[in-house]
Amino acid sequence: MKNDIQTKANSKMTVEEISNKYNGGKKIIDFVGKKKIFFGISIAVILIGIICNFVFGTRLDIQFSGGATIKFSYTGSIDQEELYSFIQAKTTDKITTSFSKDLMGNSGNNVSVQFSGNDSIETEIQKSLENDLQEKYPDNNFVCLESNSVDPSMGFNFFLKCLTAVAIASVLMVLYVTFRFKKIGGLSAGVMALVALFHDVAMIYFMYVIFQMPIDSSFIAVVLMILGYSLNDTIVIYDRVREERKLVGSKADVGDVFNLSCTKTIKRTIMTSITTLSAIVVVYVVAFVFNISSVQGFALPMMIGIVSGCYSSICIAGPLWVMWQRHKKSQKTVK
Amino acid sequence: MKRVPKPVFFIVALLILAFSFTALFGVSYYTGDNKNTVLKGIGDIRWGIDIRGGVEATFKPANNVDATDEQLESAKSIIELRMVSQGITDYELYADKGSDRIIVRFPWKSEDDTQNAVEAIDEISSTAQLTFRPGKSYASTDIGSDGSYVYKTPTGDTETVLMDGSYIEKAEAQYYQADDGTRKYVVSLTFKDSGDKNGKERFGEITTEYVNQTISIWMDDIMLSAPTVNSAITDGKAQIEGDFTAEEASQLAEKINAGALPFQLETSNYGVISATLGENSLLAMGYAAVIAFIIIALIMIVFYRLPGFIAVISLIGQMGLAIAAVSGYFTAIPSFTMTLPGIAGLILSIGMGVDCNVITAERIKEEIKAGRTLDGALDRGTKNSLSAIIDGNMTVIIVSIILMLVFGPSNILSIIFGESTTGTIYSFGYTLLVGVIANFIMGVFFTRIMLRSVAGFKFLRKKWLFGGAKNEK
Repeated sequence: MKNDIQTKANSKMTVEEISNKYNGGKKIIDFVGKKKIFFGISIAVILIGIICNFVFGTRLDIQFSGGATIKFSYTGSIDQEELYSFIQAKTTDKITTSFSKDLMGNSGNNVSVQFSGNDSIETEIQKSLENDLQEKYPDNNFVCLESNSVDPSMGFNFFLKCLTAVAIASVLMVLYVTFRFKKIGGLSAGVMALVALFHDVAMIYFMYVIFQMPIDSSFIAVVLMILGYSLNDTIVIYDRVREERKLVGSKADVGDVFNLSCTKTIKRTIMTSITTLSAIVVVYVVAFVFNISSVQGFALPMMIGIVSGCYSSICIAGPLWVMWQRHKKSQKTVK
Repeated sequence: MKRVPKPVFFIVALLILAFSFTALFGVSYYTGDNKNTVLKGIGDIRWGIDIRGGVEATFKPANNVDATDEQLESAKSIIELRMVSQGITDYELYADKGSDRIIVRFPWKSEDDTQNAVEAIDEISSTAQLTFRPGKSYASTDIGSDGSYVYKTPTGDTETVLMDGSYIEKAEAQYYQADDGTRKYVVSLTFKDSGDKNGKERFGEITTEYVNQTISIWMDDIMLSAPTVNSAITDGKAQIEGDFTAEEASQLAEKINAGALPFQLETSNYGVISATLGENSLLAMGYAAVIAFIIIALIMIVFYRLPGFIAVISLIGQMGLAIAAVSGYFTAIPSFTMTLPGIAGLILSIGMGVDCNVITAERIKEEIKAGRTLDGALDRGTKNSLSAIIDGNMTVIIVSIILMLVFGPSNILSIIFGESTTGTIYSFGYTLLVGVIANFIMGVFFTRIMLRSVAGFKFLRKKWLFGGAKNEK
């Protein structure tokens, strides 16, 4: 609080003056002043996520961890336990089965068999399993729908490669922001934008943990998409700060300038987020109706990412940037 | 403000709509039953195996053999050969020299069952072992696809292996003029003449030992030919004679070259995706796209009125451009394999396009509310929103280029991590990049031209239409 009083005393312009002069007398929303609430919410969500991470653990998809799954479709009804023990008897690996209903296809029901262990399975096993099932249940039309078998070393390599791609993209984006926003303390803007990005990636990750979704290549694609989307949000606000600062000049406090810029862009932020969000909600609902799990697994984290990306730009990156600028200023005055 | 002539709006809008219509639906005409495609549309897009169903498999040398680059290349060309011989012509094939992997993807039609797909993988990867054995006894016969007998399973004498394919340098199909003037096709073998697999020396020893006897040449389980040794051959060259046609001779030579591989291939990864699921996904994504676009259009027009309407036209143009870049509409840009993540990238780029139009429209609205004239508001609104749009889109371009470099053919990280099995992320990057470039052309350039042109019409010069309050003129 002490800091606030000090900056107010130093500045020559009050919030009211800025509001009258630069916002047509309309109220400026005080985003920076509520930073404790915002940080509190984010820290709480992150803590819950970390606790869940310890309780549930993370599941890597076989794309990354290696392993094998085979998905069969069948018609009619089947004793699920009997089917499980029948398949289990055919292999030395421990298996888990999960059953689902295909709402769209003509195939009826699906069963997916996951083999334990992280090794890929031989093509022989798949061939014989399909034959065995067709022999055992001649009336149920067992057909292999999908199969996937990944060698663990390759899967892990792919995972590392994805992480490296994310890291390279992040560094380049921060460099770009640092260069383009020199006027408003480029590096601080870039670093705080990066903090907001980490925030968003954490949110998506925790969503995967809480919903027990395995980390797969669509996780990587979603993370990359949200990195771009959230940074775009942050940049639009920074761009406005850059512009307003030129207009208002250094007479006003950085916090007030940020609040002014944010108030002026809030409509755009909300409109864009609602439009993009509604498009993705449509994709999700359609995928849900047609039971396309791959697209569902893609759209759900995207929705969370868009909300988080919009929130983190206004409530995390901005206030942090203001704190950094104030800190720099107070150091200057001390000297 | 720089005025843009009134007719420009209609010309631009019509051009955009006409272009997008042809890009979406394609242009083709029928001569009899033949379809002649003039311009490619959505129907001509090559869909990835996650959409139309297909097979992906990764092969590596068995027993952790370290293959040389040359060996890997020849393994790749052998796989290529086998795919073609199985009638699979539309495939993607990569050899990754860093990690000794060969990755193959090919579509699999719904009417073929997955059982055959697994067999196809097995067949493609089964690197046949060429062997030379004494005698020509066999345990079983089969009828080959051309109706001739195929002799199988070595027995008795032929259970001994004298030499295998790794001693052979290369095999070639050749022909010579026989005494009666007809062409005789043979397969000529050249043995290696150095190293620990010295075929020249070994073959010399064998032919000395088995002179005037029969040696049989086998590929795996199948006897290819059983020539009689006329004299010891010590020059490192041999010919396999038989009643070959030109095609048979070259096939045999290829098979021997295949058998000359020093390692067997092992399937390390494979995946079979059924097309039924894929077709449903595609249909669903089609519904999703149409519904999502209608919602976006409604939001834009309700909230931003005239600029919203223009935004919808330019969004249609952006979609048309992005799809044209994928389908091969422009002959200069080759068609691209579209996957589900690719569609997601397209949706994201449309989102960026919406954002670009929202920023511009919102800014014009703001300037009008600040009390500027319509022309002044248009001028300042478009000018002030430009930097935000450019910075925002540039960062997305950076992301998409990184994705393309890492997961695409150039594969900048493959030295460290090896070729990835999932090329689908590359298509996310590609569609995102073309989508954002299309956004620059449509959302930045054409939206602004149309806005200025429309502002020239007297009956449209109402601030309300540009986002002002209702009673303002």
